[in-house]
Amino acid sequence: MSQRRLPREPRRPGRRRRNSRLPYWLIAPALLFMLFVHVLPAIGGFVLSLKKFNLFTFRELFGAPWNGLDNYRSILLDSDNPLHNGFWGAASNTAVYTFWTVAGTLVGGLAIALLLNRKMRGIRVVRTLMLVPWIVPSYVVAVLWSFMWQSDVGIVNKVLVDYTHVLGHRPVWLLGSNTMWAIVIPSIWRGLPLAMLIFLAGLQAQPQELHEAAAIDGAGPWRRFRHITLPLLRPLIAVQLLFGVIYAAYQFAIPTVMFGTNPGPDADLMMTFIVRQSFSNSLYGLGAAASTLLMLAMLVWVAIWYRAFRRDLEVT
Amino acid sequence: MTAIALSPRTRKRLINRGLDVLTWLVLALMLAPVFWLVASSLQNDGQLARGSYDLLHPTFQAFRDMWKTIDFERYFVNSAIICTVAALLATAFASTAGYALARFRFRGARPFGLAVIGTQLVPGSMFLLPVFIGFLWLKQNVGIQLYDTRVGMIIVYTAFFTPVAIYFMRSFFQGIPRDLEEAAQVDGCTPFWAFVRIVLPNAAPGLMATFVYAFLFAWDELLFVAALTEHNAETLPLGIRLFIGNYSQYYGQLMAAGVISTIPVVLAFFAAQRWLVRGITAGAVKG
Repeated sequence: MSQRRLPREPRRPGRRRRNSRLPYWLIAPALLFMLFVHVLPAIGGFVLSLKKFNLFTFRELFGAPWNGLDNYRSILLDSDNPLHNGFWGAASNTAVYTFWTVAGTLVGGLAIALLLNRKMRGIRVVRTLMLVPWIVPSYVVAVLWSFMWQSDVGIVNKVLVDYTHVLGHRPVWLLGSNTMWAIVIPSIWRGLPLAMLIFLAGLQAQPQELHEAAAIDGAGPWRRFRHITLPLLRPLIAVQLLFGVIYAAYQFAIPTVMFGTNPGPDADLMMTFIVRQSFSNSLYGLGAAASTLLMLAMLVWVAIWYRAFRRDLEVT
Repeated sequence: MTAIALSPRTRKRLINRGLDVLTWLVLALMLAPVFWLVASSLQNDGQLARGSYDLLHPTFQAFRDMWKTIDFERYFVNSAIICTVAALLATAFASTAGYALARFRFRGARPFGLAVIGTQLVPGSMFLLPVFIGFLWLKQNVGIQLYDTRVGMIIVYTAFFTPVAIYFMRSFFQGIPRDLEEAAQVDGCTPFWAFVRIVLPNAAPGLMATFVYAFLFAWDELLFVAALTEHNAETLPLGIRLFIGNYSQYYGQLMAAGVISTIPVVLAFFAAQRWLVRGITAGAVKG
């Protein structure tokens, strides 16, 4: 090595400029795949939503006749159209499903994280085993729970009715109004470990001195939780809310594997509705319009979320 | 009721023991469905249909029969190949893109980062049909068959799980000190070779975690494989439902198939557990 060391700062810009194309080469493969599988098809999906695209015009593909906003009008406003009710039913089911799944996952995940954020014999084993439900694939979750939900021979009713007598009658889980709970509960069960994991990491990163100082000042466990733990967890709650809502609103596998292409009016979610109209009923343009509306709803959600949690984003 | 006088220390210890018991109860409740999956897979179909269980006399009959009832092997092999290759490709592309985002300031970095998140905002149903049409178009005009092929599914899954993997890799690269590459570059390495020779080996745990993360998600995918395959490239989520059709009620075999479908992801998860947990929580805690 030469004795004369070049000053560092002047070298850097030179190196940067010489390799200014390197980052573009580095992102090129990812960009290419995203362009051809995400971006262009998503634009294509929007274009199809403006077309009269069904079984009869399928051969023309993107040459199908324009339809203006008719697809949107028929599902949003046209109350004579049977799909109008189907759409709004699926939309409200999705809202209910998303609310309970996200609320249950976050509240339950935080509660379990608080339990596991203590000293205890075997705590490492407990923390690891608690993750298992998250690893079980969605479709296995769905077949397993639909087996457990069976009215006569399913283990849920056996436990609730035969063994513990919590309920006096055998509820029917896989038909009628209970179907919503039949998909919400397994979804929460599968989501809890991830929420727990994230909250636990957040709890362990919290400075212990704050809690000790507050305890010395006479703050009880609840007040410490309310005024120290929870505010410090806000960024984590924000991130999980954002992705939890989107992920739940786009849920497809669990209702489909449990109930098939038509989960019935009480558990039909937006995604099952869209896929059924598009592929079983060949109403491609209409399905594309419903997809666009679903995405718009999520954009609105992101905007609301951003307004509510902008403060927390600046902190992190 | 009279309040029993307990010293604060005894009270605290009692509460702690109570919480310990509660912790184990919650764990038992969380694992109960998994236990039930395994226990049911060890029963015969007749017992399960009647709802009578004999947990003391397990049988592996269902694990033997399930391969004959349906062509389960085809689904399993397809899942294994498609998900492994797609996760490998996604990890490779994400490692370069994640490195670019972590280390370089370049024009378009911010839009690219936003676009990566933006992909998560588009519902799969929105681009499912155009992808399908694209497959048809390629077949008609270029003669490349992608519909119902493993290659087609690998392309789609690679694109799907690359965005999440990019964020994963980026946070791993941010944890690697810059001095390493700078030292290598002073020694005459070009930035690209510094990345390949110095940074990547140091990011091996991150690569492993990203691969497993992408693999877990790919293993779970149903929507696209349902629409873009009809026989040759069908994967596990499509195969598993055939055990309970109109004429068949093979619950024991269904549960056995569920166990078999879960084993690869459990193995992958525990092989990379430490780094996977670090990747998930690092991304989350930093926001």
